[in-house]
Amino acid sequence: MNKAWWCLTVLPMAGLAADVPADREISLTIYNKGIALVEHVRPLRMPPGRQRIEFAGVSAQIAPETVSFIAPGVDLIEQNFDYDLLTPAKLMEKAVGGRVRLIRVNPATGAETSEEAEVLSTVQGTVLRIGSRIEVLREDNLPTRVIFDKVPENLRAQPTLSVLVNAAKAVDAPARLTYLSRGLDWNADYVAIFDESRSETSLQGWITLKNESGTTFANARAQLVAGDVNLVNGEEGYWEHQQQRRNANQRRAGAESTQRQQLGDYYVYPIKQLTTIANNQTKQVSFLDTSGVEATKGYEIVFVGFESSDEPRSADVRMRFSNSKATGLGEQLPSGVVRVYVRDVRGQAQFIGEDHIGHTSAGSELALKIGDAFDVSVQPTLVGTRRISKRNVEYAMSYLLRNARPTPVVVTLRQDGLWRENEVLKESLKGRRTDSDSFAWDVNVPAQGETTLTVTLRNGW
Amino acid sequence: VRWPLLIPALSLALGVARGGERVEVISPRADSVSVTIYRDLFALITETRTVDLPEGPTTLSFDGVVETLLPASAVVADLGRELEERNYDYEQLTPRSLMARSVGREVLLMRTLPGGKVVRSPATIVSASDDGVVLRTGDGTEALRCSGLPEHVVFERVPDELRHTPRLSVRLAAGPAGRRTIRLSYLAHGFAWKSDYVARLDRRATHVDLKGWVTLRNLTQTSIQDAQVQVVAGRPNLLNVEDGGSSLLEDNDYYDERVLRAAREDLLQLILEEFEWDSEQYDGHPSLLGGCFPVSPAGPHRLASEDIGLELEEVVVTGLRGSLIGHEPLADYQLYRLPWRTDLRAQQTKQALFLAKRSVKVERYYSSAMDAFHGSEDEPALEAPLLTLAFDNRKSSGLGEPLPEGILRLFEPGPAGDLFSGEGEIGDTAVNEPVEVALAGAVDLKLDVRTDTHEREADSERAALDIATAEIRIENAKGVPVTVEIRQQMHEHNANAAVARASQRPMRKHGDLAWRIRVPANSGAMLSYELHRPQTDAD
Repeated sequence: MNKAWWCLTVLPMAGLAADVPADREISLTIYNKGIALVEHVRPLRMPPGRQRIEFAGVSAQIAPETVSFIAPGVDLIEQNFDYDLLTPAKLMEKAVGGRVRLIRVNPATGAETSEEAEVLSTVQGTVLRIGSRIEVLREDNLPTRVIFDKVPENLRAQPTLSVLVNAAKAVDAPARLTYLSRGLDWNADYVAIFDESRSETSLQGWITLKNESGTTFANARAQLVAGDVNLVNGEEGYWEHQQQRRNANQRRAGAESTQRQQLGDYYVYPIKQLTTIANNQTKQVSFLDTSGVEATKGYEIVFVGFESSDEPRSADVRMRFSNSKATGLGEQLPSGVVRVYVRDVRGQAQFIGEDHIGHTSAGSELALKIGDAFDVSVQPTLVGTRRISKRNVEYAMSYLLRNARPTPVVVTLRQDGLWRENEVLKESLKGRRTDSDSFAWDVNVPAQGETTLTVTLRNGW
Repeated sequence: VRWPLLIPALSLALGVARGGERVEVISPRADSVSVTIYRDLFALITETRTVDLPEGPTTLSFDGVVETLLPASAVVADLGRELEERNYDYEQLTPRSLMARSVGREVLLMRTLPGGKVVRSPATIVSASDDGVVLRTGDGTEALRCSGLPEHVVFERVPDELRHTPRLSVRLAAGPAGRRTIRLSYLAHGFAWKSDYVARLDRRATHVDLKGWVTLRNLTQTSIQDAQVQVVAGRPNLLNVEDGGSSLLEDNDYYDERVLRAAREDLLQLILEEFEWDSEQYDGHPSLLGGCFPVSPAGPHRLASEDIGLELEEVVVTGLRGSLIGHEPLADYQLYRLPWRTDLRAQQTKQALFLAKRSVKVERYYSSAMDAFHGSEDEPALEAPLLTLAFDNRKSSGLGEPLPEGILRLFEPGPAGDLFSGEGEIGDTAVNEPVEVALAGAVDLKLDVRTDTHEREADSERAALDIATAEIRIENAKGVPVTVEIRQQMHEHNANAAVARASQRPMRKHGDLAWRIRVPANSGAMLSYELHRPQTDAD
C-alpha cells in the first residue's frame, strides 16, 4: 500500500501546508449497477481561517457532483475535483510562457552546457526562446534534457479532491467525505451441483466484487446492496435494463419474506470483516450455502411459425427449482449467473451450463436453461396448409421427437407466435393452451425411441 | 456507530501489523489436474492440492493456476474451515505495471552520455501513465526518455501487489492446524477441441470407412503436466463474460449453428493473434510506458516491433489403431475421456481417435433444391448440383454412435490412390438421427432449369389458381452413372400446392417434394412437373 495516497493535506491560503494522517475509516456501499457510495473519515487538524483542503487518494472515478464534505465547525465554500494527469506533454504545455532549463551534451566532448529558455508553443513541436534566438526543441536531434523547476499544482499523479473551507476557530476533529463512484460493481455467482437421480441440487452463492475504479480501498467496511437502482444516463441502454427486469427463466414470482436485512427496496449483504479491496481485484464472499434443494430436469422446445427442418433441433434442457422455504432454500437470490455442475461417472463435478437470474424474491419458481440436449431432438415438418378464408389458414404439422437416451423423457413442445384467432383442430395427443398465442404438448418419448406428434391448427386474424 | 473510537493515527499501522499476524501459506502446484475442454474455447480445470494449514487465520494462495482463469467460476472445496473471502489479483508484473506501481518510489536513473559514460543519479517517480513518465531528479523535474540520451531506470524491488502470474488466494478463519487435501476448480479460457471425420468410400460407392479424430489445443501460456483430459460434446448454455458469464463469444444464442462455428473460429484466431502479440513483448520489444512532450519529427523514435513468425506449435498424434478414446453420457452431453494421463503443454495440439467404423452404409448422390414458384430471372439457368453423402446413424447401418459436430472429409478411390472429393459440416448427431452433408459442387454434371409461373382465372366450375411448371434437363458428362436428387421446396407460401403433373412420381422429404433420378454415363435425363396452388386472395 502506498501510504502517500492516503493523506489529506491542508493548504492554508497563506501558503503553509500541513500533512495530516490517512483514512481513519472507509466505508463502501456497492450497488450492482457499477456504482458505489464511498465514505472516507479522516482526521482534520487546521488553524482558523479560509483554506484549501486536499483529499488525495479518492476514487479515480469519483462523480464530483455527488461529493459531500462534513466537518464540525468547518464551512464549505467551494469544491473542485481536478485530475489532470501529470505527463511529460502536460508538463511542457503548462510551462508555456514560463521558463525551463536546457542541458545539452556535446556529442564529441561529452561536455554539458546549461541555459535558460522560455517555452513559446507546444503545438506540433516545442518552440523555445533562448536568449534572443528562437529554436525548436531537439530539431538537431542532439540530446537535450529539459529541466522543470516545479510541477504545476493541478497536475497530479493521483486523483485529488480539493475543498475551499472556512473555520471560525482551530479544528481538530474527524472530517467525513462521501461521494458516488463508478468502477465498483458486484454481482452474485452461484454454483449448483445438480443430482438428477435424487432430484436435488446444492446451491452456493458468492458475491463477486470487482474494483476497476483505479483506486485501492484499504481496510474498508463494505456492504453490498441488491436492487434495481435507477440511474439516469447509465451505461446500459433501456433495452438491457428491461432485459434485466424481465426474467425469461423465472416462471413464477415469489412472495415470501426472509431474514435478510433490508434497506428500502433493497437487500443488504454486509461483509463481516474489514477488507482491502485492491484495484483490479476480484473478491468473492460467500452468502449462501445450501444443499438438498428440490430440483428437477425438463426438456422444452419452442417453435415460432410453421416450417419444415432438414435437421433435428435439439431440445432445451432446463433445471427447475424454487427458492421457497418448502423446497429447502427460502432465500431471495440477488441477480447473477448460476453455473450448474453434475458429477461424472467417476464422481468428479463437471460443468454443464450457466444461466442468468434476475433479482429473485423468495418463493419464486425458476427454470434455468442448462443447454441443448445432445440426445433429445425434435424435427418439424409442415405437412400442408389449407386456406379457409382470406384471414384463416389451416396448418398441418408433424413433429418427430427422438430420444437416444437410455431412459424415457417428456418433452414440452410449444407452438408459439400464432395470430389473434387460433384453435387446435386435430391433435394426436391432448395439449393445452399456454397463452393467447401458443399451445403446448407434453410428449412422452420412449428410451431410444421416437414419437410423432401431429397437430392441425387454424390460425387467423 | 460510525467512528467507534478515536484511534490515533498509529493504529492504522498497528492494524496492518495485526493483519500481518495472518499467516500466508502458498501452495506452489497441484498434485493432480483434470482438464475438461468445451467447444467454446474454455476448459474446466480441477486440481487436487495438499496444504499444511496453521491454526490461526490464514491466507492461502494458489500458484501455478492457468493464467486465463475466470475468477467468478472458482470453487475451493474440502478446506475444513470457514472461508472468509476469495481474492483474485490479476495485476501482472509487466514493464508497464512496474513503472506505474512505483510512483512515489525512489529509483536509480541511468543515463548514458555520448562517448559511453554512464551517469547514475537517484530519482523519484512522480507520475507514470501510458502518456509517459515524469521524474524528480537532483536537477529538478524531468521526463524520462525524452532527452535523446539513452536512459533507463533501475528499480530496487518489485512492488508487492505485482505478480509474475495472476494469483488466486483465499482468506481463511482460524481453525485446527493440519494437512489437508483440497480441491480447486475453475473455468479457464484458451482451450479448444474439435472433431474431424474422415470417410473413405468403397469402390461400389455404397459404404464408407469412417474415422473420427479429436483435436485438443492448449492455447494458454501454462503447461499442464500429467493431466486427466476429457472433452464435452454438446452445447451448454453460456453467457458472455460481459454479462457475468463464462464465454468469450459475443452471444451464445446463435440460431444458426454455422454462425456459431464461424464465431468460434474468429475467436480462436483472436486468441492466437493475442499470443503472438504477447510473445513479441517477451522477445525484446517490451512495451514500456512512452510519451514525451512534443518534439520535432526528427526526434526520438520508439523501436517498431517486428513481425516475428510463430512456429511454436507442435502437433502430437496419440491415437493408434485399437486404442480408441471412449465416451460416456454426462448429463445431456457426451463426454470423451482420454484413457491415459497426458501433458497439455502450452501452445500444444494433440489428436486422438474416438471413432473407427468399417463399412458404414451410405448414399452418395448429387442434390439440387429449387422452387418453381420463384423461378430465377436469368433463366434458363445452368446449375451444378452438390455432391452429397447421406447416412443413418444407426446400428443397422453399421454406425449408431454419437457424432459430435465437425467437418467430414470424403475420400474416394481414384485411378492412383484415394482422391479428396470434398468436405462439409455435420452438427451434433445423436444415435438414430439421419445425416446429410453437402461436400462439393459437381463437376461435369449440369442441370438446365426452366421454370414458369402463370395464373388461371376462376370460371364457373373452377377456382383461380397459380400454376408453376419446371422443366429440368440433367446432363451427365461423367464416364460413370450418377444419382441426382431434385427437391421442390415447400414452404408456408406454397405448402397448399398440389402436384398436377410429374414425369416421375415424387417422394416426400422433410415436407418437400423430391425426385431421385438415375442418369447413365455420358448421357442425359429429364424431369418435369406442374404444381397448382389455390390463389391466396380467394375467400
